[in-house]
Amino acid sequence: MDFANNPSFIRQGLSPGTRLAICVALSVALLIGDSQYGLMEYTRQGMSVLFYPLQRAINFPLVAARRIDDFLTTQSTLQAENEVLRRQQMVLLARVQRLESAEHDFESLRTLNQLKSVRSDSASLAEILYTGRDPFSYKIIIDKGQDTQLHAGQPVVDDRGLIGQITRVQPLTAEVTLITDKTLMVPVMIQRTGLRAILYGYGGGVEARYLPIHADVRPGDLMVTSGIDGLYPEGVPVAFVTRVERNPDSAFIRVTSMPTAGVQKGRYVLVLKEKTSVPARPVDPAAPPPKKGKTPSDDPTE
Amino acid sequence: MSFDRPKELLKPVRRRFIYLSFVVAILIDLLPLPVDTALWLPDFIALLILYWVINQPRRVSVGTAFTLGIIADVASTGMFGQHALAYSITSYLALLRQRQLIMFNLGQQTLSVLALMLANQAIMVATRMATGSAFVGWSYFLPPLTGAILWPLLTKLLLLPYRSHKV
Repeated sequence: MDFANNPSFIRQGLSPGTRLAICVALSVALLIGDSQYGLMEYTRQGMSVLFYPLQRAINFPLVAARRIDDFLTTQSTLQAENEVLRRQQMVLLARVQRLESAEHDFESLRTLNQLKSVRSDSASLAEILYTGRDPFSYKIIIDKGQDTQLHAGQPVVDDRGLIGQITRVQPLTAEVTLITDKTLMVPVMIQRTGLRAILYGYGGGVEARYLPIHADVRPGDLMVTSGIDGLYPEGVPVAFVTRVERNPDSAFIRVTSMPTAGVQKGRYVLVLKEKTSVPARPVDPAAPPPKKGKTPSDDPTE
Repeated sequence: MSFDRPKELLKPVRRRFIYLSFVVAILIDLLPLPVDTALWLPDFIALLILYWVINQPRRVSVGTAFTLGIIADVASTGMFGQHALAYSITSYLALLRQRQLIMFNLGQQTLSVLALMLANQAIMVATRMATGSAFVGWSYFLPPLTGAILWPLLTKLLLLPYRSHKV
């Protein structure tokens, strides 16, 4: 006997068909509003604030387990780790000193050649809250947002290289689109040759497209950001070339590559500042270029 | 293991219990799990909607499914309306045949739930492709399978608090 299953003698509101029609119309309106016009950003922000305590709560057992694990490490492991870290720091310090002198030289060379220096060193550390469970997009949610003045467009790196870019900022969290996402492209440069290319995410991986068939690319080459987009700082490692296929049928080579950063792993990421002081783009000439038969004196732009 | 529906007298289901089950499902959705688990982890919100639509059609209906769909949209960082559309249509399909589904034994119910969950995924794929995403591959249809396998267990679990032992 299932009492809830017995038919009701009283009419209860709208019929299921009408309800379905209303809900479907609403969903389609939402879909179009969100995908075409981006109308739902404020609603999403509000709801994400409501979700924040839930996310924290569900993260709590994991964080607590990690804390306990950290607390219970033995002294010997700590000592060993300390030793390793100290040695690493020595090596790094030596490297930093060399780098500083090189940087100094570089800066003076730049000023000599009257080039503007474009450097921004500040960055903020963020923890990954959770990964979006939408298989169509490759995104992660980090625990910093408008409260720490993040804004959309900032590059995100980890200790090994570029991870992605902030695409949506909510009051307490931010959404990072990974470089493996289909909608993200990164202008890169092959470090060995200086050849420029654009790295496309294709959902789960990255590949450099539209490189001519004679381009000098070899497996093992490192691709770093070229910095010509005014967004990513130059020289951040992005991906390794794993395979190069030269197919005589196509005009381009097929370059398969693997991200250097732990795009799908890791707990902490670093949010960098966007490149600043990018000179304004040259204005396009308003008039079309003069035709061949015209004399130069007729043209007002000349 | 018998697949027959329990024929015993059940206590009436509290509204609080329904809400609580949905909250747990949303929490599972928000768990920071490794990316690979999304390949096989079933959509618990959809499973629970189906369960309550089949067992308590007067309390949980198309409107509830739609609301939960909106929540799932935000939680999964997907597009607004994608889960909402799929859940409302699926719950309506379940509601159409609810009188039949409730009489099925667990084995038959599992098969119908599999079909409904597959329809759910198909609607989501269709919406995403209509808004310009590429097809994600057939592995997207694996979670409904695991979800259907879990259906008998879920039914037994959700019936546990409502067995009246003192009869």
